[in-house]
Amino acid sequence: MTFVSGKGGVGKSAITASLALRDARRGKRVLVIAMSESIGAATHLATEPLSYEPRRIRSGLDALAVNKSDALDEYLRLQLRVPRAAPTKVLTRALSVLAETAPGIREIVTIGKPVYELWRGAYDIILVDAPPLGQLFSYLRAPSTIADLVPAGAIRAQAERMSAALEDEGSAALILVTTPEELPVRETQMALEQLEDEPVIRLAGVITNRVLPELGLTGEQVETLPHGPYRAAARHHHLAQSQQLRWLDEVPAGPRFPYLFGIHTAGEVAEKLADLWGERP
Amino acid sequence: MSTRVLVITGAGGVGKTTLSAALAVTAARNGLRTCVITVDPARRLADALGIESLTNHPGPVAAQPGLSAAMLDVTAAWDAMVYRHADPEVAERLLTNPFFRALADRFPAAQAYAAGEQMAEHIESHRWDLLVVDTPPAGGGLDFYTAPGKMREVIGGKLLKWLTGASLPGRRTLFRMTARPALKLADAVLGGPLLEEIAEFLMDLRSLYDGLSKRARAIENHLRQAESIVVTTAEPTPLREARRFFEELENATGRPGTVVFNKQLPQEWTEVKNLRSPGIPAGVRSAARENLIRWASEVRLQHDIKQEFSTRYGLQLINVPWASEAPTSVDALAGLLIHSPDLAARAG
Repeated sequence: MTFVSGKGGVGKSAITASLALRDARRGKRVLVIAMSESIGAATHLATEPLSYEPRRIRSGLDALAVNKSDALDEYLRLQLRVPRAAPTKVLTRALSVLAETAPGIREIVTIGKPVYELWRGAYDIILVDAPPLGQLFSYLRAPSTIADLVPAGAIRAQAERMSAALEDEGSAALILVTTPEELPVRETQMALEQLEDEPVIRLAGVITNRVLPELGLTGEQVETLPHGPYRAAARHHHLAQSQQLRWLDEVPAGPRFPYLFGIHTAGEVAEKLADLWGERP
Repeated sequence: MSTRVLVITGAGGVGKTTLSAALAVTAARNGLRTCVITVDPARRLADALGIESLTNHPGPVAAQPGLSAAMLDVTAAWDAMVYRHADPEVAERLLTNPFFRALADRFPAAQAYAAGEQMAEHIESHRWDLLVVDTPPAGGGLDFYTAPGKMREVIGGKLLKWLTGASLPGRRTLFRMTARPALKLADAVLGGPLLEEIAEFLMDLRSLYDGLSKRARAIENHLRQAESIVVTTAEPTPLREARRFFEELENATGRPGTVVFNKQLPQEWTEVKNLRSPGIPAGVRSAARENLIRWASEVRLQHDIKQEFSTRYGLQLINVPWASEAPTSVDALAGLLIHSPDLAARAG
């Protein structure tokens, strides 16, 4: 089970989808779970809006989106084992109020879905299009938040099992996606520090997306070009790339994916990235 | 004095805060008494404005006469709001309640609502000709418009109604409710008298309702009169957020009159002619050609995306060119709008 997160807008849904396409091409049974916002995953998988029921995208690849009320219902029945005969309507209502109000409940219900799928074991690989970095830790930390809030009972017991699953290096990992720009890199650095302080999950690596290719010209050569589009575009590239280089230096080593020029649809982006994964060892 | 208001929204990273500052500097230079409220400006922008630190009280920008700046402080705005609308005793209880802090920190509408309260205060101070409001990026800025209504719902007892059934109970009925077997089961599952604590908290929260509800309506009224400017780039995430203003807003409040496409590349890059220039080595020539072809495809992509957007929503879009370097002075900020007279006109 791999969570993919990053600052909003760096392409984490694209990377999630590309990993899923790659693994499905390699014959694995893959499930994509969109955790907070599902449009990104759906458009990159070139499919209609996702629902809570897994849908077959292509051979070996299913996808679903977590929504609060279905997740809550499943959490009650399957995770807390509240019997069907119990007045679940009142219970669900009470818990949905709790989910809106108490810290950690909504998060644990949401993160409960991928963990539940992990326990169910119907897939080889679960890829989670996780919430952006700003919210990620409130999800990953939810089990311990719950333990602070709730002294005993089924939710607490479940929270402890869940945090053990997240901390299990063999079953759960986190991939961070960034672009070589100031704010995404800074947020990534902060997340890495936080992971060191609170090792809630194993870090699998940092992927840098939208890296500009080498121009192949020095600054001086750029200035020898005649006035006009050739020089302007070369200057633009030179400048943009030198700004990227500064931030690339601050990102830990890991896979780097190129800026994809002029690609129109999200589906094409994910397929292209999956092709690039294929070329890597 | 009546205050004109520009509300600048957009996803994170589109350059919204920078453009807000550029509009504010331009307005001050046009002789308007101007205040810009920013959300978490990057260090460089604060340097460009020549300001050391910002608080939620507007302070003069030394580098630009006529301009003041303030920063959104969500915690301060929430505390002020509670003291304004609740009895002192209830206010103390709420501000130390962990559920309340959780709600304030995490409910997406809460931050946006706090920004709205702050905006209303600055409008009602009648100190400004023009107020430029940079908004929190949550929900692509859409939250800023829907937050007053959502807050009214939450504070007004939506949660309490869910918890107890259809009608709003008094305190005593509430405790009879929590004694019901189903809720006893819930408490057993949760392990503690948690629901009772929450019900008590929700009752406290509801006592804010009358004051907050009136305030929320005032904020909605200000928002109706404000001019909405949505900033986007041609990238998928910001575009998706910008579309939501047209797809999801039920009434026209906040429906942007102006959509700005930031970081646009020059159209003439698509007119690739042969690079004929004697004396340029073949290697340099081919690298330059390859580079221009790449960027030309990006220009065509931007063009197609803008075309589609403007056709679908029947809008004229405003282009702001890609700026090669982040502005480091008020002159550079004002310079950002030189090639976008339609946008600069909003600050007139």
